[in-house]
Amino acid sequence: MLEIKALHASINGNEILKGLNLTVKPGEVHAIMGPNGAGKSTLASVLAGKEDYEVTSGEIVFDGKDLLELSVEERAREGVFLAFQYPVEIPGVSNVNFLKTAMNEIREHRGLPALSAKEFLSLVKEKSALVELDATLASRAVNEGFSGGEKKRNEIFQMAMLEPKLAVLDETDSGLDIDALRIVAQGVNTLKTSDNATLVITHYQRLLDYIVPDYVHVLFDGKIVKTGGKELALELEEKGYDWIKS
Amino acid sequence: MSENLVAFEHQLGKTSLSLPELLTQEAKEGIARQASFPTTRDEPWKYTRLARVAGLSVTPIAFNGAPTLLNGMETIDVIFEKGTWSCSTDVEGLTLQSANAISPEAWQACTTKGHVQHLNTLTAQGGVGITVAAGMSIQQPIRIIHRCSGERFALVLHHQIKVEDRAQVRIELIFEGEADQAYSNVLTDFFVGKEAQVHVDKWQNTQGNHYGFYNERIYQDRHSTFRMQTLTTNTHFTRNDVEVFSQGEAAHTQLYGAFFGRGQQLIDNHTYVHHMAPHGTSDENYKGVLWDKATGVFNGKVKVYQDAQKINAYQSNKNLLLSSAASMNAKPELEIYADDVKCSHGSTTGQLDAQALFYLQARGISKAKATEMLVGAFCAEVFEAVQSEYIQTAIAEQLTS
Repeated sequence: MLEIKALHASINGNEILKGLNLTVKPGEVHAIMGPNGAGKSTLASVLAGKEDYEVTSGEIVFDGKDLLELSVEERAREGVFLAFQYPVEIPGVSNVNFLKTAMNEIREHRGLPALSAKEFLSLVKEKSALVELDATLASRAVNEGFSGGEKKRNEIFQMAMLEPKLAVLDETDSGLDIDALRIVAQGVNTLKTSDNATLVITHYQRLLDYIVPDYVHVLFDGKIVKTGGKELALELEEKGYDWIKS
Repeated sequence: MSENLVAFEHQLGKTSLSLPELLTQEAKEGIARQASFPTTRDEPWKYTRLARVAGLSVTPIAFNGAPTLLNGMETIDVIFEKGTWSCSTDVEGLTLQSANAISPEAWQACTTKGHVQHLNTLTAQGGVGITVAAGMSIQQPIRIIHRCSGERFALVLHHQIKVEDRAQVRIELIFEGEADQAYSNVLTDFFVGKEAQVHVDKWQNTQGNHYGFYNERIYQDRHSTFRMQTLTTNTHFTRNDVEVFSQGEAAHTQLYGAFFGRGQQLIDNHTYVHHMAPHGTSDENYKGVLWDKATGVFNGKVKVYQDAQKINAYQSNKNLLLSSAASMNAKPELEIYADDVKCSHGSTTGQLDAQALFYLQARGISKAKATEMLVGAFCAEVFEAVQSEYIQTAIAEQLTS
């Protein structure tokens, strides 16, 4: 589904990713762990197509397509979903209007008819319950005045609505208390199928107690330096990242 | 270039209105004294060039006859089309007449200031006189529609709207049509009586190579409320001058506006609020969105007179530039002679929030659609203040083109 080969990316002339390789197949959950500054969030941004980052070499193939050739919105329509580390507040744009527009643009891309108001609202009801998101939040402006936990749950709610093939969770656990963490993880687990895949980017092991990965990769200085099963996360938790560096 | 203002006045012909002698005399002297159109060295026209206007060769459209009568159902319409005008019949509490029929004594605003008003005073070819009787509340909105298409015409009108004590009315001022090398100069006087309430939605959408000058003068008595939303779309050249004389105690004025410029369009909004009595409030909120090489101007002046204590005047102007070649000139002016007042103003000009744009795109929304959503959100406060469904629908359609 996703194949990243020898990816090099920089921001403002500083090279952050220095030859990253990663293969993700449908149905798999991959965790990317690593110390601050290793390039975790850069990887998430590059996958989503953020313009601030320049890909200097390497390739990303997603579902047979050259991802780097696609615009931000085309990637989303093809099924890439980034759950933001810092979801953006957009005053004046209602959550519902935003999501309806997004869903219909994605559906149009996939050759599906637009949802009726009724179909849309019943989906909102169903999916917001999944992450225990207060239904009244749906009618508020996007993320405006949301607590940290509500913002993260809103990200997973959007993911549930948009049904991506590849979900990239960028530090979704940061700023969450244990209850919110459990709710978010439960949401992600419920959405898992044999056709989609999840990339969990995290600094800490604790999220992986709830979202159990098939593979754990250690990202260090722009490259994946170690890959293992879920036990690798526990080892990192115990020993820290220093033993990787040596 | 010399005396081009005098020549311009000549081609517009003599007014069909019966204005007070003093007023026309003042305008005549004003034109003679100025002789030429102002240049960018004149402060009120600092950002707005009039050379193209001075060079226009136009024929005035006169509205002299009796109007065609309309049977309004949901709205009360007054329509100025090229050559004809039509008007709904009176309803209880409401009198409609041709501005030509207004007597010199009934033209209360005996001032004229600047070349635009001088030209209007000397050459207006009609207009509508509307009176809402004391204590009456008119249920249907009154729509004054200017629908002039064609080339090389001049539309010079002077409307008078009197809303007597405790009366209430909602008015729509609509300018549409497609024009080429044409000129409009529409002056509207509002007299707002004690405790009266007036809501005006103004939409300027005359397309093509058209030069539009719009003056509204508002005279507010005590405890009255006047609210006006000015929306400008698709116009080549628009200059608005809104001047409020808040004469009575505790009057409230709301002036909102949203303007959208594309191509090489120019939209110039001047407002001037005179706080002449104590306890008055004014609230101004203008939003500008400019694409391509468009130019915007917002010049908001507030004057608080010496006796006008306990005034609360608020002014905000925010602008979005969606291209590096677009430009915005914002100038707040405060003149305060009272010592116990609250006046605040703020102005910002910037680009779309790149983070918000990315967030929307990352959910599959195209850049164009995301931009449209953010522009809509940016102008939401102004759009929400508009009560005219006709204007709301039209603007929404335009912004989603």
